[in-house]
Amino acid sequence: MIEFSNVSLIYPNATKTVIEDLSFSVVEGEFVLVIGSTGVGKSSLLRLINGLVPHHTGGILGGDISVDGLSTRTVKPGGLAHLIGIVGQNPAHGFVADTVEEELAFSMETLNVAPDMMRKRIEEILDLLSLAPLRNRLIATLSGGEQQRVAIGAALVMHPKVLVLDEPTSALDPIAAEEVLSILQRLVHDLSLTVIISEHRLERVIQFVDRVIYIEGDGSSRIGTPQEIFKESPIAPPIVHLSRALGLKEVGLTVRQVRRETEELRTSLKSQPQTTTIIDETEVLNIKDLSVNYNGKKVLEKLNLSVHRGEIVALMGRNGAGKSSLLTSAVGINDHATGTVRILGKDLAKVSSAARMQLVGYVPQEPSDLLYHQSVGQECASADRDLKLPDGSTFNRLQELIPEISSDTHPRDLSEGQRLALVVSIVISGSPELIILDEPTRGLDYSAKATLSAIIKELAHSCAVFVATHDVELVAEVATRVIFIADGEIVADGPTIDVLLSSPSFAPQVAKVMAPSPWLTVGDVISAIENS
Amino acid sequence: MKQLRHPFAWWIWAIALSIAIWRINSIAVDLVLIGALCALVAQRAPLTPWRNTFFWSLRMGFIVILIRLVIGILIGVPMPGNTIFTLPQLALPNWLAGIRIGGPVTTERLLSTFHESLTFAAIFALIGAATSLSHPRRLLKVLPIFIYEFGVTIVIATTVLPQIVASISRIRNAQKLRGATKSPLMQWRSIALPVLEDALARSLELAAAMDSRGFGFLKQRSSYREIKWRSFDLLFAFATIPLLTFGLHSTPLAIALLLLALTSTFALTANREQVRA
Repeated sequence: MIEFSNVSLIYPNATKTVIEDLSFSVVEGEFVLVIGSTGVGKSSLLRLINGLVPHHTGGILGGDISVDGLSTRTVKPGGLAHLIGIVGQNPAHGFVADTVEEELAFSMETLNVAPDMMRKRIEEILDLLSLAPLRNRLIATLSGGEQQRVAIGAALVMHPKVLVLDEPTSALDPIAAEEVLSILQRLVHDLSLTVIISEHRLERVIQFVDRVIYIEGDGSSRIGTPQEIFKESPIAPPIVHLSRALGLKEVGLTVRQVRRETEELRTSLKSQPQTTTIIDETEVLNIKDLSVNYNGKKVLEKLNLSVHRGEIVALMGRNGAGKSSLLTSAVGINDHATGTVRILGKDLAKVSSAARMQLVGYVPQEPSDLLYHQSVGQECASADRDLKLPDGSTFNRLQELIPEISSDTHPRDLSEGQRLALVVSIVISGSPELIILDEPTRGLDYSAKATLSAIIKELAHSCAVFVATHDVELVAEVATRVIFIADGEIVADGPTIDVLLSSPSFAPQVAKVMAPSPWLTVGDVISAIENS
Repeated sequence: MKQLRHPFAWWIWAIALSIAIWRINSIAVDLVLIGALCALVAQRAPLTPWRNTFFWSLRMGFIVILIRLVIGILIGVPMPGNTIFTLPQLALPNWLAGIRIGGPVTTERLLSTFHESLTFAAIFALIGAATSLSHPRRLLKVLPIFIYEFGVTIVIATTVLPQIVASISRIRNAQKLRGATKSPLMQWRSIALPVLEDALARSLELAAAMDSRGFGFLKQRSSYREIKWRSFDLLFAFATIPLLTFGLHSTPLAIALLLLALTSTFALTANREQVRA
């Protein structure tokens, strides 16, 4: 179906090739996963398939790519629209219509499909992806998972033979992600669709895929079955790290498989992990009767919450459950909020913006929103000026977090993880009592996530950390307490172990393998083995 | 009968009303029109991001009035009448007779300036209302195909523009928390940079998405739900004719006819919840 022969790609003005001499072929009905660190060219590889690279972006392409016999050299992306459906990283950025139905019709309209045929196919897609109840809804009002389904539907409506998805679950909560992936799985099995997907959260996809393409940083790449690739790849989900740490003969890819292989171990290990969360008595954040209304729609209702110094609180919940509203209210920038928010007893509504910096720091979902200077050095200097700190203190902070950073780099040239670290160091330069992070792991690879976890743990020594995330593995790694909200109300609030283990969709992989023993991370299991 | 009206009908309606108020030129009629438009948009404009265009146009009209008043006080042709206050007058050379800077400010001069700029504001409001009510993307659909061909730019603009408005408020909120105390100019710069970056990235992404979905690949397009011109659209657009023809006779008559035209607008358009054609 897809044939890459000796493909190399280099962008103009770049010194490094993105992809070097890559050859592989994908047969019909295969489910292929592309992995690699951020910025190695996963998106480029996906966009090569339908010719967006280089037709749309520029760049020099060597070798040849053909899809169902058509070469992307000669055929432009528009000419492959009937053959390849492509879903971008953020589906909301690719929508062209306002309502679900119109969005589904768009490709067919541009390719001049007859109206009665269109009607038939739209009904078909609405049923296939259970979108029928949403057909007349405005896309902007849909949740992340629903938008992702609409994007997939819009790509499927042309009956393509290949579906390409770039990080389809990065913005989704675990349940919505599960739903999207099982739809893909069904399409592969029922319609023999060829699916190519890139993903950072391997724990979500690994059990579905037939083959893996691993792009290494230096332009070289490897292709193989998941078993072969994950035997030694440094990028691997927790379950693989677990089976490596336990020295299992084969790397386990599914919970079932690893459970079978670790049966003995689980019965022999009885020790409980010691839960040593020493919580400071100082109450940092106190929220009382917080309600948020958007145009008469209740997002949060009469919420009460308190966070103590030294705690790392993870805020979880479905897309659209009100997580971001809660966070923006907690920093006092939500105009729709009623109720009181106090930090160290001070009412946020009554303090000046400079005083607020010393109480609370906020890292927004898009860290780049805070950056507007031409270099890392200037960003840090401006933070020093704003808070009247001695010169260089913010930059020193940044170097403590990531030592290898240069002050001349343009913020846009940083990797996602570095940029996040820069924003964190700007935000903590006022040494606030509370740090709030909104969805910080979006688009981060495993190594950037490890840096982030270390940063968060470091922060918790001096203040309270409040983080909203969909990433259960991050929560398992760092959080001391989990708050789960649904429909604007707190439905669960307790120590991480209790909350995560009580719900199968929010349990991390290691916990599922080791159940009923309450271990959440590979580290937990290792220390349990060492102690026994 | 109650439906989303044809985009052309909305624009004929807006143009006819603009001509009418331009010719009638009365403060009372302008004020009634702006008030009625507010009610109309609140009740009838579909719940899309374009709904806010009307409120932006009101704001713009307000700024026009302000600027015009300030200039009207400082510079202008002297107009005799009831003097409110006198500004120090600048001596100008002889050949600039008839224009002066400063000097006595009269009620008449203020009123005529206000009157003039209010008409501008009312026309702005009409354009804004037509955009909010007709939805630019529906207009795009009914335009002839050769316009659609260079429509990539328009599609991208109509999609990214509301997103830019959203990202401005998001970024401004986030930056408030950087605790910076900046001059307005610096603040503008610090918001503009990430907003433009965001908008550019989104436009490219959208263009790529449209490209890979075959936009512009074929010369011919089909239409899933055709927007048809119905006889009610004609009635709707023609409801403005009495105002155009008889509105000039007297202000009360003009107001009555304006209200008649707007009542029929109310009667013939679908409620805001109905999005589909």
